Amino acid sequence: MSILMDESTRVIVQGITGRIGSIQTHWMLVYGTKVVGGVTPGKGGSTVEGVPVFDSVEGAVKETGANASVFFVPAAFVLDAFLETVDAGIKLIVVVPEHIPIHDVMKMRAYAIEKGIRALGPTTPGILVPGKGKIGIMPASLFAQGRVGIISRSGTLSYEFAGILSESRVGQSTVVGMGADHVVLTNLADILRLFEEDGATDAVIIVGEVGGEQEERAARFIHEKMTKPVAAYIAGRYSPQGKQMGHAGAIVRGSAGTVGAKQEAFREAGVEVLASPIHLAEWARKHNLK
Amino acid sequence: MRLHEFEAANVFEAMGIPVPRRGIAGTVEEALLVAGEIGYPVMLKSQVLVGGRGLAGGVKAAYNEEELKEIAEALLGSEIKGLAVQNLLVTEKVDISKELYVGITIDGYSGKPVIVASTEGGVSIEKTAHTAPEKIASFHVDPLFGFYPYQARTLLRKLGLGQNLLIAWADVISRLYHTFCEYEALIVEINPLVVLPNGRLLAVDAVLEVDNSALSRIKHPLPDWLGRIENPLERKGREIGVTYVDLDGDIGLISSGAGLGMASMDIIGEKMRPANFLETGGGITEDLLHKCMELVMMKSDLRAIFINIYGGINPIHEGAKGVARYIKEHGVKIPIVAKALGNHQEETWEIFRSAGVHVVTEAATEKAVERLFELVGGSK
Repeated sequence: MSILMDESTRVIVQGITGRIGSIQTHWMLVYGTKVVGGVTPGKGGSTVEGVPVFDSVEGAVKETGANASVFFVPAAFVLDAFLETVDAGIKLIVVVPEHIPIHDVMKMRAYAIEKGIRALGPTTPGILVPGKGKIGIMPASLFAQGRVGIISRSGTLSYEFAGILSESRVGQSTVVGMGADHVVLTNLADILRLFEEDGATDAVIIVGEVGGEQEERAARFIHEKMTKPVAAYIAGRYSPQGKQMGHAGAIVRGSAGTVGAKQEAFREAGVEVLASPIHLAEWARKHNLK
Repeated sequence: MRLHEFEAANVFEAMGIPVPRRGIAGTVEEALLVAGEIGYPVMLKSQVLVGGRGLAGGVKAAYNEEELKEIAEALLGSEIKGLAVQNLLVTEKVDISKELYVGITIDGYSGKPVIVASTEGGVSIEKTAHTAPEKIASFHVDPLFGFYPYQARTLLRKLGLGQNLLIAWADVISRLYHTFCEYEALIVEINPLVVLPNGRLLAVDAVLEVDNSALSRIKHPLPDWLGRIENPLERKGREIGVTYVDLDGDIGLISSGAGLGMASMDIIGEKMRPANFLETGGGITEDLLHKCMELVMMKSDLRAIFINIYGGINPIHEGAKGVARYIKEHGVKIPIVAKALGNHQEETWEIFRSAGVHVVTEAATEKAVERLFELVGGSK
């Protein structure tokens, strides 16, 4: 098994007729993902990469039986598309775009929780289950099948960590980008819970970064609930105080959210803290991970 | 984007929050003029975008013209925490019978606005949280329900206030929440909210930071964000659509993600010093990486450049063409190391190699930084 998606997941692509939407649809299909439809209001009836395009999410769900959606929608339109998608009964939504106004993200998160659906992002590369499929933008060449779960706030670092493991012949069960904004649609601890319950995952790597309190809260969950080995890396040791380091969530204010505070919280929870990504290979060997 | 106090005070006033009589002054003469209109004593407040101005000596009272001249001359053009004071806010100096605190910010973990009120104003709320938590009341707003005046009154009842103060303060909170929404704020704060001897309230300070991602749709006039960025290289970064942070080392950095960029800085920082942080986000094109090279190379004393990019959402083969074009046009002499993996990686390596870039094909950034270290001669 895997978490969040498997080979039976039926995906629609919102914003499929855009430049990025169509290229990423191509890569998802190449990887074997069941992309069953796309949605762009006003472009219904056409096809992209052989996939039928619909005017509404409701129409796409009715015709294709889709149960997951990935967004390549301009940031200003994401809130509207998100509410439409939840109302159409989709149970998993991956919000790839960056720079979505945070007041919109708060509404999206509250609506997703109220309706009991799962959503990732914003600013996420999505999910990849090696050998089975991917929802989002992760470049397939870096991943290999195995039993280690990865959760990352950063997109590109999720590729890096998977790549380092794959080079050491350690594969991944599921790789999840949780998103890099100050407010995300699913918190780190909730994704950890899914990995803890997943029979296909033996250990989990958390790739965190400065800012916010996701890691500190996750440490509490790990201490209380996790039985599987967990390792963590936190990027941003040399990030200057008060500077926004690209991600909306990556900013240190005062002593909260620093690399040191996060590492300390993880250590206290029994998590192995990796000083640098390359130590990942050693950690995997030590725990005999595959 | 954080607004200056005088800008935020104008916004608060327009939203119906009571603020002091005031005027902005860029010269001593202007300050004299404003103070003459308001009447002495006045407060002179340095307009710099940094916390703790008061403690750093940037806020002073003047009781007459001579004092004002002396203080204004000293403050204008001085630096507070490294920022030049270009303007002074001149306000009436009021009699204070009590100082309160109210702020609204976003709780990132719950994903909700949180309203914080305290009967301990004029000090940092973090400090009060440690010393007198019983004097703080807070409320998380349901983003789908909104915030209503009765909730402000319920919140303030927890602080055990008299009826008149409670009603007046609840009104300020409702207006502040309205401001928070209208301006798509990350934070709005009044510290202190002063209770005057006659019982009326006055917002003696004003903090407002708006969400940069919402700038284009906020319906009210706002200052120009780009013009506000003081560092010319950081401003140039914004103009071309990347995040650039100026640092004091000599290894240039271009990365295709924020996390990757921060990790690259951390690894470079072990043995060398990064000259900058630069992350492109998901917008790489040939032209963008050409502009990134221009930007990074604006620092004249670089020893090397490290390019760390992944082809997920980004067409890195296109980006590589932009780097190669820059190298050809400018005959770059310093070593450039590139780690580029993902979609179109082989094509990307080929373009880089033809341009004389050192290509590293392993995933771990440490391997690429080791190569960089060898190329610059292995010294700090």
